[in-house]
Amino acid sequence: MLATGLRVRPDPRCIRRQPVQGLWAHVCAAPTRDEALPYDHPEVQQVRRDALAWWIPLLGSSLVCLTTLALDAVNYAGAITVTTEPAFFEDDPFARLFPGAVVQTDVFCHVPPPAGPAIERYAGVAWPGGMF
Amino acid sequence: MSAVATLTSLPDLALPDHTGRERRLSEVAGGDPVALFFSRGWWCPKEQRYLRGLVVIQEEFEVAYSKLVVVSVDPPEVQAAFRAGLGARFLFLSDANRQYLDELGLREHTDTVHDPYRPAAFTLYPDLAIHRVYNGYWFWGRPTLEEIRRDMRAISAAVRTDWELD
Repeated sequence: MLATGLRVRPDPRCIRRQPVQGLWAHVCAAPTRDEALPYDHPEVQQVRRDALAWWIPLLGSSLVCLTTLALDAVNYAGAITVTTEPAFFEDDPFARLFPGAVVQTDVFCHVPPPAGPAIERYAGVAWPGGMF
Repeated sequence: MSAVATLTSLPDLALPDHTGRERRLSEVAGGDPVALFFSRGWWCPKEQRYLRGLVVIQEEFEVAYSKLVVVSVDPPEVQAAFRAGLGARFLFLSDANRQYLDELGLREHTDTVHDPYRPAAFTLYPDLAIHRVYNGYWFWGRPTLEEIRRDMRAISAAVRTDWELD
């Protein structure tokens, strides 16, 4: 649950294993349920392309994991980028869609970033998680 | 006969990607069909041209639950720059240490300066079993975008249990 009270589903791999202490998260989340956007909208597709094209390379080895936040089977409610240091968050492409907030966190674990170029979700799991 | 001609499955390559992060090919496949390209490197005009074609087809891969991977001997930081210049959103793996050149029999002996891979393309099942191999030494030997589509279709038909209409 986000600070706004919104219940969302991340890529489950990001919280499945032993959490890493002392991380930083940039949380870009819809303020309310009504402001969520369909994953299939062009702006939500494009931000995933940008994540693959330059956001993940820009973060380099500081990236711990990255997940979008699924509100339900259709709607996107934001994204969280987790790193070892709070650098480059002002460039976060996900902040184009919903405002970002920087928080310290101890709940996330290392997950390999998506290989690309897939931007579609697997059976409704929050991108980039899931597989067939 | 080159080593690769006798393979039925590709080794689970373990190499750094264009960000320097260690990857395994099986992890990258993640249950999806894979189009894997061994490429000389950024300097080769044939590679520049061919990879611009892959950038065109990445828009289909991004919605088709399939992976597209390029392996070259360029270091990760060079791959990252080349990838950005191409506008690619797929994965590059760096074999700057020439770890798999001889194991796969893909060392290009005619280039004694860069010591690169001989260009080759593999279309792979999710478990890295080989569907088809293309010798890309001659540019016309490389798979066309239509051949890549055809191979991805054949592999998907074989591995997606709900492929056929009931």
